Amino acid sequence: MNSKTLKTLRAMLLAAPAMALFATAAQAQSCPKAGGTLTYAYSLEPSALSTIATSAVPVALVATKMFEGLLNYEGPSLEPKPGLAESWTVSEDKKTYTFKLRPNVKWHDGKPFTAEDVKFSVEKIVKPYHSRGHVYFGDLEGVATPDSLTVVFTLKRPVPFFMNVFQAGETPILPAHAFAGIDMGTAAAVRGAEVMQKPIGTGPFRFKEWQKGSHIALERNKDYWRSGFPCLDGIIVRMIPDGAARAIAVETGEVDLAPMSGLPEAEVQRLSASPKLEASQAGSEALGPNLWLELNLREKPLQDLKVRQAISMALNRERIADVIWYGQGKPARGPIVSAGAFFNKSLPQYEYNPAKAGKLLDEAGYPKGAGNVRFKLSQNFLPYGENYVRLAEYIRQELGKIGIQVETRSADLGGWLKTIYTDWNFNLTSTFSHNYSDPSIGVERTFGSGFIKKGATFTNSMGYSNPKVDELFAKSAHETDPAARRKQFDALQKILHDELPVIFLMEPAYTHVWNKKVHGLITNGISMYSPWDAVWKE
Amino acid sequence: MKSLLFIGRRAAVVIPSVLGIAVLNFALLHMAPGDAADIIAAQSGGATTEFVEELRRSFGLDRPLWQQFFIYLGKLLTFDLGVSHVQQRPVLSLIAERAPATVLLMMTAILVATLLGMLFGTIAAMRHRKWLDSIISVLALLAYATPQFWLGLMLIVFFSVTLGILPSGGMMTIGQDISWPLRVLDIARHLVLPAVTLGLFYVALYTRLMRASMLEVYTYDFVTTARAKGVAETRVGFVHAAANALLPVVTMAGVQIGHMLGGSILVETVFGWPGLGRLLFDALQQRDLNLLLGILFISSILVVAANLVVDLLYGVLDPRMAK
Repeated sequence: MNSKTLKTLRAMLLAAPAMALFATAAQAQSCPKAGGTLTYAYSLEPSALSTIATSAVPVALVATKMFEGLLNYEGPSLEPKPGLAESWTVSEDKKTYTFKLRPNVKWHDGKPFTAEDVKFSVEKIVKPYHSRGHVYFGDLEGVATPDSLTVVFTLKRPVPFFMNVFQAGETPILPAHAFAGIDMGTAAAVRGAEVMQKPIGTGPFRFKEWQKGSHIALERNKDYWRSGFPCLDGIIVRMIPDGAARAIAVETGEVDLAPMSGLPEAEVQRLSASPKLEASQAGSEALGPNLWLELNLREKPLQDLKVRQAISMALNRERIADVIWYGQGKPARGPIVSAGAFFNKSLPQYEYNPAKAGKLLDEAGYPKGAGNVRFKLSQNFLPYGENYVRLAEYIRQELGKIGIQVETRSADLGGWLKTIYTDWNFNLTSTFSHNYSDPSIGVERTFGSGFIKKGATFTNSMGYSNPKVDELFAKSAHETDPAARRKQFDALQKILHDELPVIFLMEPAYTHVWNKKVHGLITNGISMYSPWDAVWKE
Repeated sequence: MKSLLFIGRRAAVVIPSVLGIAVLNFALLHMAPGDAADIIAAQSGGATTEFVEELRRSFGLDRPLWQQFFIYLGKLLTFDLGVSHVQQRPVLSLIAERAPATVLLMMTAILVATLLGMLFGTIAAMRHRKWLDSIISVLALLAYATPQFWLGLMLIVFFSVTLGILPSGGMMTIGQDISWPLRVLDIARHLVLPAVTLGLFYVALYTRLMRASMLEVYTYDFVTTARAKGVAETRVGFVHAAANALLPVVTMAGVQIGHMLGGSILVETVFGWPGLGRLLFDALQQRDLNLLLGILFISSILVVAANLVVDLLYGVLDPRMAK
């Protein structure tokens, strides 16, 4: 396959659909067509049907159709829109958020939805048991419910991203009455609650059946608060473990949608040529996936900035995106992805220059020895499939050319997590992390020195510590002036871009492939984790 | 009475061997690095150490290994397989949901494979060194050497995509309320490709085994006697010789039920068949220890039980064994 076709494909996938695809869901007053069932396929079976148990992709996909957040969001940068909350006010000091709830909303079991459910969900469930609950509500002082349709959040200090946290997958509102008699003090009891397996939500779709290993069926919630919606009669989630089989199911029309890069990259390339199918990378902007080569900065050669620069220069990011990822990604420029609201546009592209890389290693005091080897490093790779194996192979080959002999070690996810995040027993590893909807949520955990903690997955395993960076993270996490906050993030990105605590490689894209009969899927930066009430099918 | 005694004797051997398997499983699985708490945290996109520690505490994974072992063993003796860490549901009910699909797939595959293998093997032996024998032997060799995952995909491409006559995956048509005879038919249609994929290898194996066994039986005196009596050659082959030649095939089929359980992981993956094999694979990936131990434990019981059935079958197939 020549690189021109790849470039064209990438351009096609990235540019064309970007804006045009964002359906104006909120403006639609009625469904263009009602009825029909949407079937989507994913490889893994969800382990539960609520993101409280785990917010893994298969869970978040299905749970967000049944459980809602207080707010809905529009556009790639998540502009808040009314949801379970009809309106809201924020106090002058940005420490009090008052939400007016929508009246006459009912749970799927017919019981009324009230402010108590919101208070209970946030205080007793999301804050202690959602994997990001402490990030979202760590500064929460209290939740008051002056009446059954008013919720007041009081914060100890301003949290600039607070309006972003009320997503259906991140802060789902669960029915308090479903937890009667459950010991709220232990994770196992909460995660084992029946409502995690048989959801009772307020969302546009209600749980119908779950045939283990085969499918999950959701049906239309006819009492949904947004009258006339949802458009679809139901949603079916099919678990198809094999990638090629998933692609065939999409091709034959048995399945309408393969969300979140659910198809192997090579298959996407083949299927995107079909006139019946649409392949798009739009709609996941607020997840902000970023991929890099994580370095253990406790190792001597890697402590040297010149060595890190040399590794960076030895790798051709265009090739990684175009060839290894089949054009489904683009070169990274720093810790915040380019689609993120706080991306520093003045950051330059990283240079690819193996000759200069060799010189830098000479300057750093690592001359070529026997067999052209300067020093040896080991590398692990994220066990998320074929691409990471090929990436490891590519890195070994390119670093070999500049005299760094790399030995690749392989492990499955359990083993890899322990090696990298609990034992810190590695030199290099590919890894992948989400920015999420704000850098304070998804970026600080990798580069702040407070996150050098054994056993915390996807945190600062490098042992990177820079007081200036820590200070900027601390300030920006509570900065109320948006302009000042942008400046802080700009400075942060500049430092991290230059200091290379990790080798930023690529912004992988989530590609969604669907049948053109389906409309209205892409509405915001978390489109696949949105309620899909306005999605319709020809 | 005799056969009851036989079953009793076999069962007495079963208990220590199943316990032995359980101990071995426990030891092996604890050697794998990482645990379910890590995986859950990672799949949630990362989490704090407090979150992970809380999970570990609630799973009982923070206790010393010897304590975990005795707790596990104690529960096992009361047939309590515990609760899945990842899914937070009783292991036994998770297995019960999946086992029927796998048993159906395996039984169909092994039955069809045994029957077809015996048939082809008999025919090949009866036409020894003729062209039909050569064709069967070559086809058997081909089927023997074909990787299962490839075969499965090719069958899907041919029968589902090109011809469009069989479904590409799943166990039944979803979202249809149909009467039970139609449902049975529907499941049968879904079963064809996975059962062929899983069974073809064994068809090849049993064909070769049956052929060899038949050729040996053909040299026995009673075959010569039958022929001398003027019995038709077809009857000599299918009745006299085949009945005496099938014991090795039955023995092999019994032993291979365990082997087939391994093969079903692959087939279930390709066809999205909602069975135990897939559950086992996911549990291993997610370090879902209780579930993993539970599946291995139940599987070992299944295999032991299958072998017991085969032992009993000997008595039926070969009256000499019952004596």
